[in-house]
Order: sequence, then structure tokens, then C-alpha cells
Amino acid sequence: MSKVVAKKICMVGPFAVGKTSLVRRFVESIFSDNYLTTIGVKISKKIVEAEQQQVNLMIWDIEGVDIFTALKPSNLRGAAGVLLVLDGTRPASVEMAEDMHKTLREHLPEIPIVCLINKSDLTFDWKIETADIQGLEKLGMTTLKTSAKTGDNVDQAFRLMVEKMGFNTVDPVSS
Amino acid sequence: MSIYDGIFQELGVVAMVRQGGGQFKLLNSECNWFLSLLKANHCPLTPKTSSIDYADLCTCFPFVENFLIDAEQAWQSQDSNTVRSGIWTELDQENNEFQLEARACLIDAEPILLIENHTPSFYRYQGVYQKARNIALLNEKLVSELNLRQRQLQNEIERHLLQSHSLQQVANSIQGHTSAVMICQPDGNIEVINKALVDIYQLDEEQGLKRVPLLEQWISEAEKVYPELKRVIEKGSYWEGEFQSKNSLGVNRWVRLTIGPIKEADGNISHYVCVANDISEFRNANASDSAELGYDFTTHLPNRRHFWSHLNYLADSAHAQEGGLALIYIDLDYFKRVNDDLGHQAGDFLLSTIATRLSRCVKYHDFVAHLGGDEFVVVMQHVETMDQIQLVADRILGVVREPLFVNKQSILMSASIGITTSFERSFEPSELLRQADLAMYAAKQLGKGQVRFYEASMERHIPRKLQRERELVDAIEKQQFELHFQPQIRIAGTEIIRAEALIRWQHPERGLLAPAEFISIAEESGLIIPIGTWVLKQACQIGADLIQRQQQTCIGVNISAKQLKHPEFYDTLAQTLSETGFPASLLELEITESCFLEDMDTVIVLLKKIRELGVTIALDDFGTGFSSLNYLRLLPVDYLKIDRSFIQELQLDHESQAITATVINLAKELRIKVIAEGVETTEQLEFLKQRQVEFVQGYLFYKPLTLNHLQKIYIEIKRLNDENKLSLLAP
Repeated sequence: MSKVVAKKICMVGPFAVGKTSLVRRFVESIFSDNYLTTIGVKISKKIVEAEQQQVNLMIWDIEGVDIFTALKPSNLRGAAGVLLVLDGTRPASVEMAEDMHKTLREHLPEIPIVCLINKSDLTFDWKIETADIQGLEKLGMTTLKTSAKTGDNVDQAFRLMVEKMGFNTVDPVSS
Repeated sequence: MSIYDGIFQELGVVAMVRQGGGQFKLLNSECNWFLSLLKANHCPLTPKTSSIDYADLCTCFPFVENFLIDAEQAWQSQDSNTVRSGIWTELDQENNEFQLEARACLIDAEPILLIENHTPSFYRYQGVYQKARNIALLNEKLVSELNLRQRQLQNEIERHLLQSHSLQQVANSIQGHTSAVMICQPDGNIEVINKALVDIYQLDEEQGLKRVPLLEQWISEAEKVYPELKRVIEKGSYWEGEFQSKNSLGVNRWVRLTIGPIKEADGNISHYVCVANDISEFRNANASDSAELGYDFTTHLPNRRHFWSHLNYLADSAHAQEGGLALIYIDLDYFKRVNDDLGHQAGDFLLSTIATRLSRCVKYHDFVAHLGGDEFVVVMQHVETMDQIQLVADRILGVVREPLFVNKQSILMSASIGITTSFERSFEPSELLRQADLAMYAAKQLGKGQVRFYEASMERHIPRKLQRERELVDAIEKQQFELHFQPQIRIAGTEIIRAEALIRWQHPERGLLAPAEFISIAEESGLIIPIGTWVLKQACQIGADLIQRQQQTCIGVNISAKQLKHPEFYDTLAQTLSETGFPASLLELEITESCFLEDMDTVIVLLKKIRELGVTIALDDFGTGFSSLNYLRLLPVDYLKIDRSFIQELQLDHESQAITATVINLAKELRIKVIAEGVETTEQLEFLKQRQVEFVQGYLFYKPLTLNHLQKIYIEIKRLNDENKLSLLAP
């Protein structure tokens, strides 16, 4: 039987960008168009199969940042990776992500951060330009366009994160 | 169930005492919801002792594991602080959600861990946040749309007026527009209004409104929250803001107003274009949202009203405050250009970015506000030393300078900062803001990206500057400018004399003034456009006259970045050449590297178009700007003028020699001719000759000459050209 390693991943980003939807798509393979704001933290688990071991992802879905709510550094403690999520239809979320990246780096200087630009299905409302993405990548983040609605790149995003944490993944097997 | 357990159950709390040996003992062990969660998470509970192993608790509840680090600190500290985890969600076996919060405290020196069940009240709590965030999303869209449309209309009207459409044409085009429009003279005399404006102010007919001094009313209403409004528009800058305005029935309406000046060729303001939207319903409908609480929509920072209320509060409690207070007034340089060039959405994005960055420069008790437009304020409290303030100001300059990516372009911004302080036990808020504004204005005079602390002497200097501006306007009207010419000697010889035209101001009291004494004021005030146009026309006229006298001269004319980027520059140039008959091939425009700084692609296109006329382009002061040799390959220039500072250091400094030699070689490779400025010694000339520089200019040959002097020594200059040619040919 292969060894199981638990790893904490934090989902962070501005409010209403689709963090919870991405987690639900990844863990439960479901999506709802209704926006239900997250309060606090919800932890979901999913095992991803890696070479000779299983990675038990503890996915911390953390309440989005807005003028009422700041990112709480204690929730980041012990994270092995961060998925920083933005909304491709809201250009302001790019700058918010850049600022959040700074906060993340202050508290988690070494761990991988992957930036997910979500809602890629909304092609007509898409407002984030290549230059914006290049700007984010200059900060040292890998970026990936995702759609929780269609599932596009969602599994890949989590698998990429697992690989960045040092594991060679194979297809995820169970939730 | 014991009463004890019943009370905890009623309160929705589970209490545990942390015991030695890594155990948590449950004080109420019959709490159903908690037991179901333990079960769902396979967390073993020792029935006899009602205790949970520390490691099991951590494995089953990762959120609690994380919180226990904070809890341990609370338990070990001697103060009686309670720490809270914030809300998290757990699922029981039936997938029912529980919203919980952990608390750690010391009670009677015992380390207590409480888990509170917020589930019964959670949906009400979440509903409030849900509504607030839905509204925030909607607001984001609506505000962005409204702002965009209002600014588009403003630009459209300004463009029509600049393209010499008649006021009547403009009036017809905006009559049915849903945004209110007023076009008035600088004294407020109304020339155009539309129906939407009549509707806002509830007048029976348009004529009634025309009798109302509306600009004056707006300024007086808006100045309560935007005291700099009058200064901004009188300076000829764009302004926008939101404030309450009374209509003819005495009812207050919320108005979002933009004011843009229309300038004539001489730089004077001929009209103000004002566009207004009644946003009362929007404001009232969102009475509980962030805007009403005093936050700016675009930047999410406290808005102007919030700022005043904060400053007034600080003034009221100044006697009780420790340390001093600093007011840092930040004005973004070139913001209007970003707005104009990249659009208002980009402008909003930029503002919001800068706002976030500013917020990160200050301590938690400091206060950052967005006053509107491109102006921000930081209020620092508990200030002990000026160094403390300087540190924050430097940090602000630094974060503003960090590159921004907008519409695939990297934008480099800078800010001008004015600072004033109060270490008194009382202060007048409006006076403090006025001083900081004045200091900021003084910082702008120093160039962009500067910081100035308020000094009493600024009260005198600013009016003096305004006086200079007025004198410059007079100088244009009374034609007090004249051109001098500094010849450029061609080392390889030529038939054509070349000279750079240099402006001088024959000031009625201060005598002949060099450009250094007035060009920066002309640039700042916008008077550089009419002055630059005069220089261009005068130089071409003189050039044409010289041809008539058989003294054909190629004339270099300095063109400022502002002048080059003026929408009418190309037409003015073409018209001048045609009117004066001066051959385009004899005109050279001398531009500096700053012309390429912000919009290189557009400038390159324009310069190519200008070269198609036959006019040559010289890149002036090379070496003093960004001086990228890579960029040089892209620029459509015919001549490169190496700055005098390099030439003057040639004898002293090997580095300058190396740089100069490299630039000369590269220019040769690119087939760009080189002109060396500021040549004053024969050694410098020798160095340049050896490197086959085409032209030299400097006091070794001639100072700038009056036109008469130039004409008198025309033959002598020709001879010099020939001599240099001969000396090069000599072995």
C-alpha cells in the first residue's frame, strides 16, 4: 500500500472570483451558477495519486478579500501551496492579486503559488490581457486560465500544484 | 443530561480544558452536535474521562490544529486575552454543515478551549454579507459603466469643440442626452445646456436655468468637500467628483460632475464643458453600502467626506493625542495623459492599483484616503520625527514608481508629494490641507516625483509663479521673444550653413532672459504650445528671408514633448512650411528623449510622417535621458546631438570618452549623423575630429548670435566649414 502524505493548499483571492466553485468542481465534480459567499474557512479533502504515494490534499477554501474582510495570515500557516484565484472578467482583481501575492510572500516565502484566472468560459466578458498575465508571471507565479463551470483546467490546476510541491502525479483517484 | 450540560447545549458551546499529558477534557460531554462531528471525523472520545487526545483532535479537525498554535500562545501569556479562530465549516455524517468558531482563554489559570456553534444564526449573518457583496459586485459594474459613459461624453464634446464645431452644433448633438451638459465661459456665463440639466434642477424652462450662476453654485457646493476644485479648473485641469447640489425647489440631489476646460491656441481657457449625472437614487438605494459609509467606489479607500470627518475628529481630539500629525498630499503625475491615451477604464484601474499600494505603505493607525481624481492623502498619527514622515513619503514614491501593466502596456507613474505637520494641541483641518496642497504644488514645480515639506515661504513663491505665467502671456501678446542662432560647424565641410534657433525673452524689466528662466513655467502652464508655435513660425520665416539674401541656412528648432504630442502639431508644421515657403529640407526639429518616454509607438509614427515632409529630426541632449542605445535603433532620427555634459568631461574622464566614442560609432552604424554640443576647447574638437563627428557646436566657434550678427559673419562661417574640411583632408 502506498504511503499517504497530507498537504495543505490554500485557496485565496478577492471575493466572488469562484474559489469555492473551483474546489467543488475539483472535489465533487459539481458546479452551481448561484453565487453563495463563503464566510470563514471550509476545508475539503481529496486524495491525488502520485508516484509511489498518495497526496491527501487539505484544501482550505478561505473567504474572499473585500473591503470588509482581509486575508487572515494565521489561515495560511503550514500551507504547502497556494492557489491565488482571480476573475478574468474583473480587471481590478489582477491588481488585488498582485497585492495579495505580496502578503502571501511575506508569510509564505518559499511555497509555490499558482494563479488561477477563473471564469474562462465567459469569453465575451473577458477583460484580462496577456500583459496582465505576464505581469503576474513576473512575480514568480505560474498562471492558468480555469473555468469551474466547464471544468476546464481545474484538475490540471490542482495537479500542477501537487507537482510544484514536489510530487509526480498520476490521475487523481478518489475523494 | 445535567443542568451544566443543558446550559452549554443551549448556548451552543463545547468547553474543554487542556490537561497535561496531551489530553483535552470535555466539560460538557453530552453535546449532540459536537458528538456527531466527532463521529463524522472518526475522532475517538475516551468515555470514562470524556477526554480527547490532542493528536486525535488535530488529525480530525485540521482547522483546530492550526488554531491551537494561537491558543497555546494565549494560554501561556499572563494577560487575560481571548483569541478567536474565526468561523470555519465542518460537516457531520449526514453532510449537514456546522459553522463553528474556536476560542482560547484562561479561566482561573486553566487553559480553556471553547468551540461555539454559530449554525443557527449563521444564515442571517451570511445573508448580510451576501447582500453586501452582491451589491458591491453590482456597484462595481454600474459605477464603471456610468463613469465610462460620462467621461466618454465629456471627451466627445471637448473633441467637437477643439475641432471647431460651433457651439450650436454641439448644443444640438447633446440636447437629448441623458447626461446633463453645460458649456459655459470661464466666468460662468452659460452658453449651452441640455434638457437633462433642466430636469435635475427642476426648472420650467431652459432660460430659467441660464440665469442661475450654476458653475459658481457647483464650486461653492463642491468646495465643502473638494476645496481645491477652483484651483484645479482655473489651472486648466480636468476635475470630477460627487457632491450634493440644491435644485430650484431647495431639494438636495447627489450629482456626479466632470469639468473639462477648453483651451485656445494661446493657452487661455475659452470654455468649461461640464457633464453631470443625478446619482441620488443610486446613492440612496445603497445607503448602507461602502460609499455611504465613506468609501470611494473605484479605489475602495475612504473618500473625501470620510477624510474630512476623520481629520475633524483628529482635530477635536488633538489635545489628547500623543506625538504629532502629518498630512501627506499625493498627486499622481501625468494621470490625465494615462486617462486620455489609454481610456478611463485604464485610469480607474491605475487609481485602484495605486490605492492598494498606498494602503500598504502606512501603519495600521495611519489613514489613507482618495480625495478624488488623481489625489490621495495619508494622515499619519503619533509622529515623533520628520525622518519618520520622510520614510513614508519615500516609500510612497517607491510604490507609485513600481511598473503597472495596463492594456498590454507597462506604465511608469510618479507622484508629487506635499507634506505638512502639526505638533500643536490644536489645528485647523482646512488650513492643514491647504498647506499640504501648497507644498504639493511646490513639489510639482521641482519636476515630477518630488517631495516638499510645507514652508511659510511657499505662500509667497506660488503667487510669484502665477505672476510669471501672466508675464509670459503678456510676452506672447506683446511679442517680447526673439530668436538667436548658434551655428553648427561641419567638420567635413558643406555649402549649407546650419544653426540652432534659440529663444530669448526680452523682459521689460529683467532684460534678456535665457530659456532656463521661463521654459519650465511655460511647460507647466501649457504656454509652451503658443510659444513653441511662435518659435517654429519665426524660425521658418527667418530661414525663408535668409534664402532671399542668398544665405541659405538649415535651422534647428527645439520642440518640446508637449508641443510634439499636441494634436495640431503636424498641421501647424505643414501649414507653417507652406505659408513661409521655407523648404522642409532646411528645417530640423530637435526633440529630446522624453518625447518617447510614454508613447513611443505613436511618436515614431508621427516623426515618420514629419520626415515624409522632408523635415529632418535631431535627437537633442542625448545622454541625459533614458539613453537606451537599443531604442536608438527604432527611432526615426537623422541627427544625434551628444549632450554638452559628455563633451565637457572628455578631457577629464575616460568613461565619458568611452561613452562618447561608443555613441558615435553606433550612430555611424545606424547612419545617424552626430552633432557634438558644448565644444569649448581645441582638445575636445580634436577628439571629435578623430572620431569623424560630422558637426560641432559650441563657444569654441560661436555663442548664440543675433540674426544681424549671423548675417554679418555668414561668409566667415562658410570659411570655417571649409577650413575644417581641409584640415581633415590633410595627412
